[in-house]
Amino acid sequence: MNLVSVLVLAGILIAVFAFFYKLYEILWDAIKIPLKKPRMKLDLGRRIYILIRNVFLQGKLFKDPFAGIMHALMFWGFIVFGAYSIDFFYVTIFAHQLFSPGILSDIIFFTVNIFAGIVIADVIYAAVRRWGLKIKRYQGFNGFEAAFILVLIGLLMLTYFVMSVLDMQGLLAGYTFVVRSGAPHYLEPISYALASIIPKAPSSYVYYIFWSAFWIHALDFMVFLIYIPRSKHLHLFAAPFNVLFSTGTQARPLPIDFEKETRFGATDIRDFTWKDYFDFYSCTECGRCTDNCPANMTGKTLSPRDIIWDIRETVMAQGKEYRKNRDNPDEVFKTVIGDPILEKDLWSCTTCMACVEQCPVMIDHVPKIIDMRRSLVLNQGKAPKESLDLFRNIESYASPYAIDPSTRGDWAENLDVVNLSKNPDANYDVLYWVGCVASYDRRNQDIAKSVTKILKKAGVNFAILGSMEKCTGDPARRTGNEYLADMMIKQNVETFKEKKIHKVITACPHCFNSLKNEYKEYGVELEVYHHSEYINRLISDKKISVKALTSDSSEKYTYHDSCYLGRYNKIYDAPREIIGSFTENFEEMEKNKSKALCCGAGGGRLWMQETEGTMVSHKRIEMADKINASTVVTACPYCMTMLDDARKTTNREDKMNIQDLSEVIAKRLE
Amino acid sequence: MVDVIVLIKQMPDLEQVKIDSNTREPMIKNVPKTVEILSEHAVEEAVRLKEKYKGKVTAILLGNEQSSAIMKKAFAIGADEGIIIDGYEENNPANTARVLATKIKEIKHDLVILGNQSADSITGLIPGMLSALLNEPLLGNAGKIEVTGTTVKVTRILEEDNIEIESPMPSIVSISQEINEPRLPPVMQIMAAGRKPIKTEKIAPVISKAVTLVSNRAPRSERKKLVFEDMDKGIPEVVKVLKEGMK
Repeated sequence: MNLVSVLVLAGILIAVFAFFYKLYEILWDAIKIPLKKPRMKLDLGRRIYILIRNVFLQGKLFKDPFAGIMHALMFWGFIVFGAYSIDFFYVTIFAHQLFSPGILSDIIFFTVNIFAGIVIADVIYAAVRRWGLKIKRYQGFNGFEAAFILVLIGLLMLTYFVMSVLDMQGLLAGYTFVVRSGAPHYLEPISYALASIIPKAPSSYVYYIFWSAFWIHALDFMVFLIYIPRSKHLHLFAAPFNVLFSTGTQARPLPIDFEKETRFGATDIRDFTWKDYFDFYSCTECGRCTDNCPANMTGKTLSPRDIIWDIRETVMAQGKEYRKNRDNPDEVFKTVIGDPILEKDLWSCTTCMACVEQCPVMIDHVPKIIDMRRSLVLNQGKAPKESLDLFRNIESYASPYAIDPSTRGDWAENLDVVNLSKNPDANYDVLYWVGCVASYDRRNQDIAKSVTKILKKAGVNFAILGSMEKCTGDPARRTGNEYLADMMIKQNVETFKEKKIHKVITACPHCFNSLKNEYKEYGVELEVYHHSEYINRLISDKKISVKALTSDSSEKYTYHDSCYLGRYNKIYDAPREIIGSFTENFEEMEKNKSKALCCGAGGGRLWMQETEGTMVSHKRIEMADKINASTVVTACPYCMTMLDDARKTTNREDKMNIQDLSEVIAKRLE
Repeated sequence: MVDVIVLIKQMPDLEQVKIDSNTREPMIKNVPKTVEILSEHAVEEAVRLKEKYKGKVTAILLGNEQSSAIMKKAFAIGADEGIIIDGYEENNPANTARVLATKIKEIKHDLVILGNQSADSITGLIPGMLSALLNEPLLGNAGKIEVTGTTVKVTRILEEDNIEIESPMPSIVSISQEINEPRLPPVMQIMAAGRKPIKTEKIAPVISKAVTLVSNRAPRSERKKLVFEDMDKGIPEVVKVLKEGMK
């Protein structure tokens, strides 16, 4: 072994040790600090699928096409460059190639050459995005860290080219004891092209040029290795695992056992799970979440990125302290609520899941926000004043409204609807779960009446629970009052079991999501349909027929996606097919389907004042106005309430209508 | 140290009271009982005083075995002890005050806190009557309560000015709704409240004929219940009806 080999070997050993030591530390934190466990199922098929889709194919990154292509190329470049680097250091240390000449080594060296060129272009593009175009979603990013990384990557590629060009020019013959040489022209086309343009350096210079390039290349790689786990580039390691470990239940906060647990929600970093720690480690500050956050978009200070990043910083700092001082956890772990995470930001969240949907590394922002709300509500009794009223009403009247629960079914009077609280022994096939808003709110009662009209026309034998129906617990759960939610869920589950209810239709996506996905954990299996799915099937099965819009009509329809129907339950097509069943006068708004903008009402926000910034619902109405929609079709009583209100307060009453899917169909029944 | 007795009233949930269309009487028989609104503020204030000055909060409630949920609510907010006086079912302020005064006399206290009038019967008589029966000064309609040594100072918040009054303790303070916003108790306290014992004391019915209830009836409503479905035609029709009504 020569001196160079010894030095490089020592350097690589140090770098690898530093890399793994840091990984050991953060994994120790992730295993030793959390007191809670995530929901984990083996789910192998799904895991393999998302690993291929979201890691190897970089699937979620293409939601932002330009950045996505850039990142994907960088990622694939890194993989081949990784193989190349192993060979590079192998040659330096052992003086012969790891990949002996053959098809495999040909593929590696050819792709490396191509990707090195692409990655240099990527580095320039990434720098232009940050410091030239100043792309909004990077706001507040760590400039030094980004610049340092880009310089490291750029230098790594440049020095690779320097050595490769020297080789193409046949100048590396004397250095074969540390580098591979004599690559055929066709294997390194970019270098070959460069070699033919760049004049050969005088042989006295080659020594200096080669050794500078060699050492910069080798040291750069070592520094990079050390730096990865200590910067946002930790995502190189953490993100693939985060995708692999994703629970598949992003939208669902963990259940609480009130009989056993004493710490509720998330107060300090002990209250997150190890999977949450992978979320924190995977964040790259890319800002896609915040860029798509309806609260942030309308001038509120909530930034899902900053929430994740702030907790990550807290984990890094308090983890380090805890490793030194393990006897006094209460001294080490201080609450993250208040500082650095503002209470008002936690309350601004509409739980719309746009952040989770956008995150390329599958971070679950929303359940963490709900868990911190839980900490405030359940441990300290802290919540916005309107939420306290909401809780009181749900507790006393089983709905968010202070209205006598015995009048819940009154909207159906004279409509000849089977009400199980008045007629308990009636026969029926399907339960129509009306929900609180459609039961009590005057405007939304029209939805209940329209659903009734459609079901009757189709000859569906259905019943309502009347005063036996109670709030599903969703507004309480999303506002952090799991205790109350738990109470409501148990009462409803009791009713479902007692009445042997199995099949349910509902026009409320919030009820739908709860009943379909969340009631399972309370031991009741329901077959739940949202009215959009159900009506769509009634149309396609020809159980009802819908009058087509005349071709000369000037009506223009658009559809506003409900978050709890769309992102939570992936129902995007059924509502559009229903509209398509009677008209082609349909245009999408600016943000639609998985990128849809929230109405501002989820997460209990329907019952809170929106005082900071502008109204989310106004922004949505403006989008509808931009395409001159005359009817905005909704599929959720919350959206209906918000958008109908926005339509009025922004003086668009004359030119725009808000209609539920059931209403547009009920009117067109033949 | 301030030891506080807080008086809680239970009442039928007014949102759920319906009026019998024939007799015009409220149908309160099966309506669930709830904590009277001002009583909840009174408990909250008593607990805040305890948190500030230390001491003990004893809650007294006229009720029966079914009233324990209401007492548990007071426990969850922070009351230390709870006594349900079972057996008094009248709604006669003079007797109510006597029953309460008898019990209050047995308990060492610096302050008695209660709402200035109940949300259901709205007589506003109990604070004054208690003051007379217990021979303790009454500081009424408090919007703020402060204690220094053995003196209590109360701020009455009026429309145009604030009045401060004070008296030596023990005294009676009746509160107005603006005094505080009752808290949402933390879950651990709700759970602990469920396990806390409640003292129930039976008393013999009090009979007095000073004032008797003659009738309790809602005025007959004159609503015409007209519904205008068509927006375009409806508005002129509404205007027409309103004009006729004004004649």
